[in-house]
Amino acid sequence: MDQRNNKMGWLFTSPYLIYSLIFFFGPLIWSFFLSVTDWNLIAPTFNIIGFENFMDALKSPSVHSAFWVTYKFMLIFVPIVTVLAIAVAVLVHGLPRFKSLFLIGFFLPYLSSGVVSSLIVKGLLSYTSPLNVFLRKIGLDIDWLGTPLSALFIVGLILAWKFTGYYALILTSGLESIDKEVYEAAAIDGVTERQRFWRITLPLLYPSLYTTLILAFGVTFGIFTEVYQLTGGGPNNATNTWQMEIFKQAFTNLQAGYASAVALLASVATFISIFIIRKLLEIWGKRNGWV
Amino acid sequence: MIKKSLGVLLTAALATTILSACSTGQSSTGNSGSGGSSSGVTTIEFWAAPNPTQQAYWQEMAKAYESEHSNVKINVSAIKESPTSEASIQSAIAAKSAPTMSENINRGFGAQLADSKALVPLDTLDGFQDIIKERNMTNTIEPWKFADGHQYVLPIYSNAMLFGWRLDVLKELGYNEPPQTYSEIVELTKKLKDKYGDKKYLWAKADLADPTAWKRWFDFYMLYDAASGGNKFIEGSQFTGDQKAGEEVLTFVDNLRKESGLLARQVTDPFENGVGVFTDVGPWTFTTWKEKYPNLKYGENFTLSMPPVPDGMDPKDSKTFADTKGLVVYASATKEQQAAAIDFIKWLYADAANDAKWFEQTNLPPARDDLTTNDSFKAILDQQPELKPYAENVPNAIPPMDNAKYNDLQTIIGTEAFNKVVKGEISPADGWANMKKAIESALQ
Repeated sequence: MDQRNNKMGWLFTSPYLIYSLIFFFGPLIWSFFLSVTDWNLIAPTFNIIGFENFMDALKSPSVHSAFWVTYKFMLIFVPIVTVLAIAVAVLVHGLPRFKSLFLIGFFLPYLSSGVVSSLIVKGLLSYTSPLNVFLRKIGLDIDWLGTPLSALFIVGLILAWKFTGYYALILTSGLESIDKEVYEAAAIDGVTERQRFWRITLPLLYPSLYTTLILAFGVTFGIFTEVYQLTGGGPNNATNTWQMEIFKQAFTNLQAGYASAVALLASVATFISIFIIRKLLEIWGKRNGWV
Repeated sequence: MIKKSLGVLLTAALATTILSACSTGQSSTGNSGSGGSSSGVTTIEFWAAPNPTQQAYWQEMAKAYESEHSNVKINVSAIKESPTSEASIQSAIAAKSAPTMSENINRGFGAQLADSKALVPLDTLDGFQDIIKERNMTNTIEPWKFADGHQYVLPIYSNAMLFGWRLDVLKELGYNEPPQTYSEIVELTKKLKDKYGDKKYLWAKADLADPTAWKRWFDFYMLYDAASGGNKFIEGSQFTGDQKAGEEVLTFVDNLRKESGLLARQVTDPFENGVGVFTDVGPWTFTTWKEKYPNLKYGENFTLSMPPVPDGMDPKDSKTFADTKGLVVYASATKEQQAAAIDFIKWLYADAANDAKWFEQTNLPPARDDLTTNDSFKAILDQQPELKPYAENVPNAIPPMDNAKYNDLQTIIGTEAFNKVVKGEISPADGWANMKKAIESALQ
């Protein structure tokens, strides 16, 4: 019986295993192979150059910027999206009816095209837009996308707008799963609204919050469309993300080997960062007794 | 037994489903194996520029050629732009599904392909010299010769990039025609700022501060070609930049910045809306203007000029950047396909009427020496006088460098010099020196 179950288990997991072999493991091996060559995929000959591409990438200022820009985006995007998502989830959860309708409304930006939202923002921030004309009238002339800090904030805010509804959806399901009796007991004990949130809601929401935080940190390693459309990685590489750097090297400079090396470095940076972040979140949860 | 068979069947079905999902659903257009020839008919795959006008033109020409040559079939399709047309071509070559020939190839990308042995040197094909002679393009194609002495790209069109001026604003400032030298332009900028303050700028364009490689074609190179008399900047793997001309260009840009004449910010159509009074203009722009800005009329509220020159130079000697793209034949094509491809091109360019049709449909000046003297183009130029200065300056237009690293090299121009000067972050002399050092290092 166990042997038969084993076979059926393998059979039913085989689509995913085959999928992973074809679309994950195969490309990974291929990418590693490319990264140790100077091949551009079309030349009839190429050289195995060892770790030269990795060494060049580690010395490259634009790769350095990609590394640091990710963490700068984290500092901007993660707190904003987390606070907004919690706020939306709590507000929607407290609604007497039409919860789903409101959630869908907040979720819509997630479905919208990054290209379209970026172009709209580009128009809003144009030098001649009503906003900027008004700001100049009161003495504020801001080069929104030409100043490193404001460019980072704008991209971070677009992403926060996009992901708030999605994370709020996850958090709302977390809130729904909290037993109402806990709140009733707290009410009998005379717990205030603020205490209720910090002492009951947040701890019991921790599993969902943990998921959204990990997802939010992960997003910062894959930022591309908004940066590509709005800043092209500038000014002075201030918004140059890993994906932007890989795109430039692979599809503009057509350096497949070097781009693969950068992509592998990006994967390592992502893996290590997410691992550390997970551990820190787990420590935070344990220290507070939430897990 | 039945269960075992069922398991095998299920596994096979799953594998088939997954493998079929990997298919693009398209039949291969590659040249390998089949030789592109069956039943005495040679099939050519032609990739056209990804815009409907050019695609329609090539489809029309292909049909006309096929009607006279029953032994050749030409399949015209657009180059996919996802993620870029260059990357699509690269992927196709890597996947052994490259077309026989394609258009829309700039000289820098041509150099990348030639370096990778992906292109046929056109001058080695029978009939190529006849094309040059019959199309009357001996002078125009000369600067297209690559460092190894071969011609890999046949230029189709050559836009001698010009600067547009808002004539209405110039007239308000007391000018009847555009200034032509650097000091005249700086003087005009002072008058413009005195009159309009932060409402108008000489040159309003976000690209001025953007290091993206190709953007230098439409600012730095236009000015540099004029200041240097058409110096090639990089020849083969040698930096041959003219320091005096380069520093003069950067100083001019720096002076415009000091006079608050530059606005390197995102603005919606700054020239069209009058925020900027000077900008680079290509002939493709006029179609858009006719639809979106019908009030812009050549000679009434805008005019065109060759790039300005440093003081002391004769503006009549001004050169400019050639926005030019051409045709290539891929090395993966069979000998039959290569021969058929060159015969198609020979047939096409033997009749100036075909070039006239191209000019009429695309507004892109054919890359030939006789554009202003051949009667075939007279009607078009009379009907669209704004195209005349482009036609006249085809011989004064310098094509992009033929270096495979052109993206890296042109990014350096921006990051080390031009963008920094625009922002006032570096002096022109230091910008030039840093750029030269970085380019020489990249060329090694």
